[in-house]
Amino acid sequence: MNVEVLEDERHHRFVLNMGPQHPSTHGVLRVLLELEGEYAMSLLPVLGYGHRCHEKIAEFKPAKSFMPNTARMDYLGALIYNHGYAQLLEKATGVEAPRRAEYIRVITSELNRIQSHLLWYGAYLLDLGAFTPIMYAFDDREEILDILEDITGSRLTYCYYRVGGVCKDIDDKFVTRTRAFIDRLRGRFPMYDELVNGNVILQKRLINVGDLTPQTCYRYGITGPLLRGTGVAYDLRRAEPYSVYPEFDFEVPTETSGDCMASFKVRFREMEQSLRIIEQALDKLPEGPVMAAKVPKKLKIPAGDYNSSVEAPRGELSYYLVADGSDVPYRLKVRTPSFSNLSVVPEMCEGMLLSDVVSAMGSLDLVIPEIDR
Amino acid sequence: MDVKSVVQQWQKMATSVEEVDYAVSGYDYSICLEGATVPAFASMMLEAGFYLVDLMAVHVEPAIEVVYQLAHVETRCRVMARAFVDEKGEIPSITDIYQGANWHERETRDFHGVVFVGHPNLEPLILAEEDVDLKPLLKTEKTLKDVAAVRRGQPEDEAAKPEAVKSPEQS
Repeated sequence: MNVEVLEDERHHRFVLNMGPQHPSTHGVLRVLLELEGEYAMSLLPVLGYGHRCHEKIAEFKPAKSFMPNTARMDYLGALIYNHGYAQLLEKATGVEAPRRAEYIRVITSELNRIQSHLLWYGAYLLDLGAFTPIMYAFDDREEILDILEDITGSRLTYCYYRVGGVCKDIDDKFVTRTRAFIDRLRGRFPMYDELVNGNVILQKRLINVGDLTPQTCYRYGITGPLLRGTGVAYDLRRAEPYSVYPEFDFEVPTETSGDCMASFKVRFREMEQSLRIIEQALDKLPEGPVMAAKVPKKLKIPAGDYNSSVEAPRGELSYYLVADGSDVPYRLKVRTPSFSNLSVVPEMCEGMLLSDVVSAMGSLDLVIPEIDR
Repeated sequence: MDVKSVVQQWQKMATSVEEVDYAVSGYDYSICLEGATVPAFASMMLEAGFYLVDLMAVHVEPAIEVVYQLAHVETRCRVMARAFVDEKGEIPSITDIYQGANWHERETRDFHGVVFVGHPNLEPLILAEEDVDLKPLLKTEKTLKDVAAVRRGQPEDEAAKPEAVKSPEQS
């Protein structure tokens, strides 16, 4: 579609093309905005610029070797994507990961979640015109990346989990650094709070913008912090407990207003809960192997269909595998949270000020590669 | 949510309702539907408070199967509902019930060529406009399998016994 001026001189309605290289779309997302003055009368997201055929690739190689692809869908929640996929194949083949491996998975996944939320925090505020917070957020995030790099070998697109465990055990240095990081981030939260959360400009930009209700969320399949911001305490770590999450004491933060401020606060409190989980996991960390003893080289998956759902930083991630008895998936479908979360935008942002559209879309915490896959 | 009454409602409209083992399959109920009853099923699910997790297609013999995944926020009840497309490759759209299905249906149209009747705007979403007839996830004649080959084996089937599943080398 081209940019066009509609034949209505009085209202000056026109179509504005935002993206695919616009900084506030955080990736190659394109949005066609029909504007009337500063008001967005309709929005049309255009997807597919980052489509890399992950589902097609999955049908061509042994299921085990799809693990690196999972990390490249959501580059901010790569370990959680690893987790869901490892769990899917473990369910399907009956391989069981040792307890120590599950604990390591939880610790590293939660670090990954905090890292994702920190990036969202910095980038979101940058979109809203506050430059400083991203510097602080990246300072903390950098520490997580260093900790994870030591153990996994990469900084962003991790491929650390394996079917039956994790590929490398954690060491004392990891434990010491993680504990130090927990104290450090806890000490920084009050500063974050003082720095922006009470700021009147931020409140004006977030409160009563991008309202959602639980019913809207069900109709669109919105999950994660956005759904929890409408007052529904739905977190797959609690609702469909997986891994060793039932062994930890943590809360599912909720807010009731359903606007951008609600999901903002929910994400913030989630970081604190993640720290709690990591702390408990480090305290209880069992000894033992980190890989199951017998994982067949050629991992044949019995015929049938399997589903594995985990709580990614942006909401529910589901892998659905249809197997025909061979080691190559017959069909693999990845349900990514941002895809469903973004699909509400045309309804949510109709009639909004353009500046509020940026604010509302930022609160969705979009990661475009997981939408396009 | 009262699972029992929901199951009863399913049994009225579905050709089969099967409870599956969550520990192995990762979901609770498998439902087979006629294509025509999909909208009625979707309305019933929305009323019962289910949210739409996913919508996808699987290309099998005799026809493309559309799979609807739904789950509930209060009670653990994850449902896979399946329906085959008709001989023209069509199935009713549920976009007017679950608006989130809009993009999923467009994606399924891109990848498998399923036509969702009643969809307001069935244009390419993920693929480029010129690739409208590519249908990349359709199987070739060589790779296409019968639907029975991708279904979980019956309990008397050797391959599906829990012991057999635990040691994949044997199968």
